[in-house]
Amino acid sequence: MDFSSFLLMRQEIILLAIILLLLIAEIFIPKNKKSSIVHLAIFLFGIHTVVGFLAISECSIFGGSFQTNNLIHFFKNVLNIGVFILLLQSADWLQEKIVTQNKGTEFFILLFSSLLGMYFMISSGDFLMFYIGLELSTLPVAALAAYETSKRISSESGIKLILSAGLASGISLFGVSLLYATSGSIFFHDIIGVISANNLTILGFVLFFAGLSFKISIVPFHFWTADVYEGAPISVASYLSVISKGAAVFILMILLFTIFKPLMHVWENIVYVVAIATMFIGNLFALRQENMKRFLAFSSIAQAGFILLGIISGSQLGTTTVVYFVMIYIFSNLAAFGVVQAISLKTGKENMSDYEGLYRTNPNLSLVMLLALFSLAGIPPVAGFFGKFFLFTAAASEGYYLLVFLAVVNVTISLYYYLLVVRAMFLRKGENPIPFFKNKLYMRLGLVITVVGILVLGLYSPLYDYIYELSSLFN
Amino acid sequence: MDILSLFVVVPVLTILALVFTKGLKQARLVSMVGSMFQLGMAVNLVIAYFKERAINDNIMVFTKDYVWFEQFNIHYAIGVDGISVALLVLTSIVVLAGVFISWKMPDLPKEFFISLLVLATGVYGFFISIDLFTMFVFYEIAVIPMYLLIGIWGSGPKEYSAMKLTLMLMGASAVLLVGVLGIYFNSNADGGALTFNILEIAQVNIPFEAQKLFFPLTFIGFAVLGALFPFHTWSPDGHASAPTAVSMLHAGVLMKLGGYGVFRIAMFLLPEGAMHWDTFFIILAAIGVVYGAFGAIRQTDLKYINAYASVSHLGLVLFALLTLNKTAWNGAIIQSLSHGLLTAMFFALIGMIYGRTNTRDIKKLGGLMKVLPFIGAIYVITGLAYLGLPGFSGFVAEMNIFVGAFENPSMFNRVLTILAVSSIVVTAVYILRLVGKIMMGPLVNDDFKDLPKATWYEKTGILLLLIPIIAIGVAPLWLSDMIMASLDPFIKGVL
Amino acid sequence: MDISYTILIPLIPLAVFLLLGIFNQKIKPAVSGYIGVAGLSTSAALSFYTAYQYFFVHGKVDGTYQAIVQKVTWMNFTDTLHIDMGVLIDPISIMMLIVVSIVSLMVHIYSRGYMKGDDGYTRFFSFLSLFSFSMFGLVLATNLFQIYIFWELVGVSSFLLIGYYYTKPSAVSAAKKAFIVTRFADLGFLIGILIIGYYTGTFDFETLNNPEGSAILNWASTSFMGLSVITWALILMFMGGAGKSAMFPLHIWLPDAMEGPTPVSALIHAATMVVAGVYLVARLFPMFYFVEDGFALNIVAYVGAFSSLIAAIIAITQTDIKRVLAFSTMSQIGYMMLALGVSKYEGHDGLGYMASMFHLFTHAMFKALLFLAAGSVIHAVHSNYLKDMGGLRKYMPITNITFLIAALAIAGFPLTSGFFSKDEILVAAFENNMLIYISSVLVAGLTAFYMFRLYFGIFWGKETNYKHAPHESPISMTFPLMVLAFISLVGGFIPFSEYVSADRVGFEMHLNYPLAAVAVTVGLIGIALAWVFYKKENNLASKFANAFGVFYKWTYDKFYIDEVYLFVTKKIIFNLIAAPIAWFDKKVVDGTMEGIGNKTVVISKKIKGMQSGKVQDYALSFVAGVVILALVFIYLWTN
Repeated sequence: MDFSSFLLMRQEIILLAIILLLLIAEIFIPKNKKSSIVHLAIFLFGIHTVVGFLAISECSIFGGSFQTNNLIHFFKNVLNIGVFILLLQSADWLQEKIVTQNKGTEFFILLFSSLLGMYFMISSGDFLMFYIGLELSTLPVAALAAYETSKRISSESGIKLILSAGLASGISLFGVSLLYATSGSIFFHDIIGVISANNLTILGFVLFFAGLSFKISIVPFHFWTADVYEGAPISVASYLSVISKGAAVFILMILLFTIFKPLMHVWENIVYVVAIATMFIGNLFALRQENMKRFLAFSSIAQAGFILLGIISGSQLGTTTVVYFVMIYIFSNLAAFGVVQAISLKTGKENMSDYEGLYRTNPNLSLVMLLALFSLAGIPPVAGFFGKFFLFTAAASEGYYLLVFLAVVNVTISLYYYLLVVRAMFLRKGENPIPFFKNKLYMRLGLVITVVGILVLGLYSPLYDYIYELSSLFN
Repeated sequence: MDILSLFVVVPVLTILALVFTKGLKQARLVSMVGSMFQLGMAVNLVIAYFKERAINDNIMVFTKDYVWFEQFNIHYAIGVDGISVALLVLTSIVVLAGVFISWKMPDLPKEFFISLLVLATGVYGFFISIDLFTMFVFYEIAVIPMYLLIGIWGSGPKEYSAMKLTLMLMGASAVLLVGVLGIYFNSNADGGALTFNILEIAQVNIPFEAQKLFFPLTFIGFAVLGALFPFHTWSPDGHASAPTAVSMLHAGVLMKLGGYGVFRIAMFLLPEGAMHWDTFFIILAAIGVVYGAFGAIRQTDLKYINAYASVSHLGLVLFALLTLNKTAWNGAIIQSLSHGLLTAMFFALIGMIYGRTNTRDIKKLGGLMKVLPFIGAIYVITGLAYLGLPGFSGFVAEMNIFVGAFENPSMFNRVLTILAVSSIVVTAVYILRLVGKIMMGPLVNDDFKDLPKATWYEKTGILLLLIPIIAIGVAPLWLSDMIMASLDPFIKGVL
Repeated sequence: MDISYTILIPLIPLAVFLLLGIFNQKIKPAVSGYIGVAGLSTSAALSFYTAYQYFFVHGKVDGTYQAIVQKVTWMNFTDTLHIDMGVLIDPISIMMLIVVSIVSLMVHIYSRGYMKGDDGYTRFFSFLSLFSFSMFGLVLATNLFQIYIFWELVGVSSFLLIGYYYTKPSAVSAAKKAFIVTRFADLGFLIGILIIGYYTGTFDFETLNNPEGSAILNWASTSFMGLSVITWALILMFMGGAGKSAMFPLHIWLPDAMEGPTPVSALIHAATMVVAGVYLVARLFPMFYFVEDGFALNIVAYVGAFSSLIAAIIAITQTDIKRVLAFSTMSQIGYMMLALGVSKYEGHDGLGYMASMFHLFTHAMFKALLFLAAGSVIHAVHSNYLKDMGGLRKYMPITNITFLIAALAIAGFPLTSGFFSKDEILVAAFENNMLIYISSVLVAGLTAFYMFRLYFGIFWGKETNYKHAPHESPISMTFPLMVLAFISLVGGFIPFSEYVSADRVGFEMHLNYPLAAVAVTVGLIGIALAWVFYKKENNLASKFANAFGVFYKWTYDKFYIDEVYLFVTKKIIFNLIAAPIAWFDKKVVDGTMEGIGNKTVVISKKIKGMQSGKVQDYALSFVAGVVILALVFIYLWTN
């Protein structure tokens, strides 16, 4: 291996470079111009996102502990887009914070390093790399959650996150060690050969699975979700709910489909159970949430349950549908969070009842929200429908009709609470509705991109076919 | 652009145009023009269809097929036969009439017409698709606008009704989804590729076990929309709260998707399942027929009466479909058309009465004939047509159904038929009670002395509906033959 | 013979109906009256022309009257079953054409006077035309379904005309009652048709009635509950006929139907529509006669006889003159029914059939006359009740004379039309069924009695002091009276049996003097009694009424049959069926759907404790989750 092969880690390196640049920048930028850091960050990350689309060759370096291929690469790009949208939506808020609370670049640095962690996590070739990635992706977020030091609730959520995360990663590390004990290796491609369904392995697997489930917030490892989302700044909440969840889902799927393939007869049952539990718990809790962030938190839990339907099929079809759905889900959820962000930024209101009569004052925002909710609920012709339909198809392809049936029951339940928001915005008049306001450029851009995504991703089938080709790599 | 896709494209364009309109005047003008064009296309389609039929004896004509999701073998596949043509015409008529009836939409007119046309788009799309997936997509597109339409522009406990209706219908479509997937994954039973294409699946012998499992899911999924007892309860509340045009479209067109789906999907693709479950569901349908009629007797809200009447009449459609008899099927289709027109008519009239008197409670109404001669006369005519008077579409449909249903050699079915036939008396009872109470008799309320007469747009809307009702009733031959001809490939499966 | 022009007979009134109906507001009343009359006269003329052509020119082929049919397919059910629309020309259809056109025309003319100044004038004439159209269509029907279609249409026109004064609640409810009762009867008719269609594979009269046809020969092939299905079908269809013809127990709508304008009662509820049932039985006579040895036909006979008796009894006590006439109509139709019922098929044995048709014809004339005359009386005194009348003979001579003629005719006074037709009926009954014969003789007496009770009550008796002196009606009203009176007088001399007979072979009919004598004496006794009771002001009548006490009361209240129906509909249908269903729907069915929704919310309330907000709880459940999963999947659920 020579230095040229470092270039195969292009994504990671550039991101690292951006982090450093921002650090330096902070030194040179005068105090009164601090807010311009936001522009810089967005600009730099924009470039990174674009560059990311340049093709990259398949590889496995550092003795196979770091590997990448087109699907992984593609997924990193998806994450990039998500983060980019997130930055756009958070820009105004950040500028305000920087001015008022004299913050610096830490937001970006933490965010990007967490993203870097995810890069490593999803392209890890062995458990060591995987674990480093996992930690790197989690810890900064805890700091981010506590970003609003002035708010007690924010710090609380930070603490909660760090504690639960610590527990989770500890447990999954224990699981990894057990797996090492049974297989004698931490390298994935070695493990595949030797792994077999003995009790120790299964125990190891369950522990490991719990660790990842925590990030995806699968029942019963989901409890932190609502509290943290509610406390953390909206940007962080949405980051947790889309980006980090997405990454975790992705790696979980890859691991299940590759090294744990021999255990499929075990994990498909586990997934079966937790999927049902997750869907029902998530929906039943979401049913009665007043605070939009908690609401979205639980809805995202339910969504995770649906995703498991794709995973359970354990086939190329499954991989495709999951990646496809996650992508759509990122756009939909970011749209929803974006609207919440915008409103809370202008008015500080975060409750469903505050949204009453929104359409009559802010039609565009409400329409974005409407699309986002419909996409989450899975109503055609917006993307969410296709995502969900295909997930169910994947499950049905393996004959899990009962599971699909329970899933569609949940879809109906979820429709109920998504419609509650629609009801507030469109049906109700509202005694003191949120007055009309205009969003800044970044926010508008951020919302527009999501809307385009929601409308196009579903109807534009070649994208799906493209993912399908890439997915062959793991089956 | 092919003749069928236009049916989806034109409404979409109309919607886009609506987005740029300002105020009621522009909105209604645009929607009127759009819907008129639509009606024109529908009429043109009928002519084209007869031409095509003469030289082309495929099950479906004007078929087009574009690959959509290659991996799933999902296509945007369209085609029509006599049945869908007839229903397309019905839709275009009711939509246009609905636009006229909503001529004075006070609140958020633009949004109203947009939602209305979204609904229409879904319906059109549903009727032209021959690909299960596409069909399902359009089905949900057609249902979901109901929530906003009832919730925003409705009356009474609108939020409750809107939610109830949406959840029950979407729940049904969720069940349907399982059925669809079940059919899809059995479509390779003969070793072919998995496919969503109806015509291809129809060639496949889906294993009996699968049919037994998935027929009820598919059937119920559609039949809920067709107000199958006991899944009909969304309809009374829904109709009562919905604004006039929405009730018209919903009862007139949307509920027809149920019967059509049952016929086109459940029975056509799962014939053995149909025969296996036949007895069970036909009892439910027969109950619905009588039950709905009796339910209507006691109601006092005009819209509730009409809603229960719909339960009864659409129960007749399902009943006819389940008799697995060609004549009865023909009747079922005609009944769908006839009920679509008649019930739309009724809701339109109710809307006019409500708009003038601000009440739908028949106890508060009476003797309106004197003050509203046109509306009164039409109301009586509609009523008589509704109870199956010869010379109107209802009679043709019912006679086909009864004769066909009676052709069944099993005594059990014939007894059920007689039960269903007896509903026409009950229908007469509540219809005459209605007519006698609100139109005839002395004027109960002096405030009603000088109610405004029917306006030109109301009359236009009414006549749009009335003309086909009479046309079918007086000269049914061309229609019934057109439908009959299209039934053969479907009846084969269940014989 | 080419009969395609006969299609115009119904179509012209239809055109008139549409014209008057659509331009209701535009056309001046006077004009609309003329349009109506003109239309009807054309139809009448055509009917007479057809009759002439048929009976005297082309109709007969070697001694038998042919049935001439022209039809087109209206709708296809199956390859064999289809609804045709067309015209069927045979003796009875032509006879009916004549009856309908004469009476209808007279009523049209009469109405121009009677309805003058009514603000619904045009509407009235359009409805009359609609009825005429439907009735012609019914008469000319070539098959069961066509007759059913027009059957319904006459029903609805009757509904519209009874409810003509739609602001009067009584009129509205009467209209509803009439429609619903007949509709219920038609249910039987329809089911009968379905059965026929299924078992014989045709609706066509000629095919069904052919004595050598499969329908009749194979009647025994399928049976249901001991009777041939065909018999069941016939009984059910007769149910329809009984409904229209107000046979017991489906007669309750007829008296109320008198709420309609009097010309309507004359046209629809005396002369034409109410005999549709008789016509239907006559139309299907071969089937009724041959299938199961006329089992169904016997039912017809007894129902007819019983209805005629009970109606005659009720008629005695009624005080509303129109109601008296209504019950008299019912009684006379009973006559026709029983005549059909006792009839045989070939030649002179088919006397009953002929007699029934004959009586249908004569009855139409004098009953229409009675109603129109009564109308002219009501027109003069503005009341339906006997108590408001009396001594009118000097004010309204023409009405008086014509009414007298009609009364004599219906009472079977020698040489009036009624005398001949009734005599034939009695002969037929006598030859076949003693019981029925006796009852009908009794009815003859009662008829004479109540009819002259009416006559004396109106035109003689004590003079009530009228606010403004009643005067004779205008010529437009008296002219029809005179025409009809003339027919009622001489109508009997038509050699009816030459033209109309069950097997369509004419035969020679002759009076049976002994029986005629009996009938006449009974009739005269009735008249005499009426003379004694009502000619002069006296209290005999009330004495007798008291003497009979309860029985009188019952009769006066029409044996409480209405109340029975009321009980069935209100109490049973409404309260015991509809109400529970409404409740069931709201509470149970809807409740379940609601319940599913609510339960979900409830559950979500219940479980909210799980989210305590304490991080240690979360940690606990986290670990618990891990442990459970591990245990379950290591030890329990392993595959």
